Amino acid sequence: MHKIGRLGAYTIMAAALLIQLTFLGRFRIFGAEPDLMLLCVTFFGLFLGPAAGLETGAVAGAMMDIFSLDYFGINTFVYTATGLLSGALNTSFVRESRRTQALIVFFCTAFSMCLHFFLASVFSGSVELGFYEYLRACVIPAGLYTAAVSIPVFAKLSGVYNLREREDLL
Amino acid sequence: MRTPKRNILAILAIAVITAVLVSNSKKVTNSSRTNISDMSSAPLKASRGILSAVERMVPFAGFRSEIRRLNGEVEALKRRIEESKPVADENERLKEILGFKRSIPLSTIPAEVIGRDPSNWSNSIIIAKGLSAGIRPNSAVLSTKGLVGRVLEVGRGSSKILLITDPNSKVGVVIQRNRQGGMLVGRPDGKCRMVYIALDSDVNKGDKVITAGLGSIFPRGILVGEVVAVGKEPGRLYKYAVIKPAQEMSKLEEVLCIR
Repeated sequence: MHKIGRLGAYTIMAAALLIQLTFLGRFRIFGAEPDLMLLCVTFFGLFLGPAAGLETGAVAGAMMDIFSLDYFGINTFVYTATGLLSGALNTSFVRESRRTQALIVFFCTAFSMCLHFFLASVFSGSVELGFYEYLRACVIPAGLYTAAVSIPVFAKLSGVYNLREREDLL
Repeated sequence: MRTPKRNILAILAIAVITAVLVSNSKKVTNSSRTNISDMSSAPLKASRGILSAVERMVPFAGFRSEIRRLNGEVEALKRRIEESKPVADENERLKEILGFKRSIPLSTIPAEVIGRDPSNWSNSIIIAKGLSAGIRPNSAVLSTKGLVGRVLEVGRGSSKILLITDPNSKVGVVIQRNRQGGMLVGRPDGKCRMVYIALDSDVNKGDKVITAGLGSIFPRGILVGEVVAVGKEPGRLYKYAVIKPAQEMSKLEEVLCIR
């Protein structure tokens, strides 16, 4: 990683995980809570490229897998793919625009949750939840909430790492 | 920067590793995941302690200028009252648990919630008691308001509880009013879905749902929640009902594990 060191990135992700594990669940709106780990992965992918997205996604997913009761490895795959996706988008949009960032975060959250649904359906084989119901009740609220939270979080992270000049980003 | 080919190779490698891990999920969870999760219970307990301390301090932050102006004795008394509030709340909660514990003819182990599932898909909690306190896998877990879930992974000093709102959770339930049966499955948004309800059955909004007592995990008659919506499964000969759990899972602080 260039401007952002590995130690800094992983410290941020560890802090995000701790917040998600301990008290973020208290701030649920319409049953959804923002996914801070996904925010971090999207941020690193978006600002540092596909390789960084892939790497931070794999680490974030593995960290999530330890504390989740889900099939071990699903989160690793989902977050890796999401990191790669956000990395692939890093030259396609004007990343500095807050609106674009929020849209990308919404898209990445929806992508990761839908991928998780399909993988869980394949491995579990007995998911009784319909995809459209899941989309309406879970994906859209979580995507909107995460996108809303991304605006101050991305601004803060960009400020911390001074990611303003285009040449600093890659 | 890596080339796209290398990225594709990397994601393929991770996909293969994921497939191997998922196919051996049980072995992995039985050994490494439970141990790592168990080791992290101490920092989780510590962060919960810090969080409680911060929660106690926050109400005073806005009063600092006022505190300077007011009489010291009055302020000390005010502070004492404020400080005793969380203790009083905790006392109330513990009394409630004790009362509930007496009201159910089951032997239970009370435990504090120290962590929650970080993902948006699954719903589980981590409690601060494990094998050493007598917690066993597949024990039912309750709160003072109703059913919470069941123990899935047990470490020495901590355990993971699969909540009834997890999509992998399945519980046999009945409508309290007419004993109409069905199966309760979780939804990631904190609600549940009662499925396999006969088409001709009479299920209305507001009906209470309780455990059926089928199987060996959940005792009969434990309150699960309330029907908030009823619909017909598209393309199936069954109805479904959306259930709001009696216990709001995001506000869980203490639970009772049945021995």
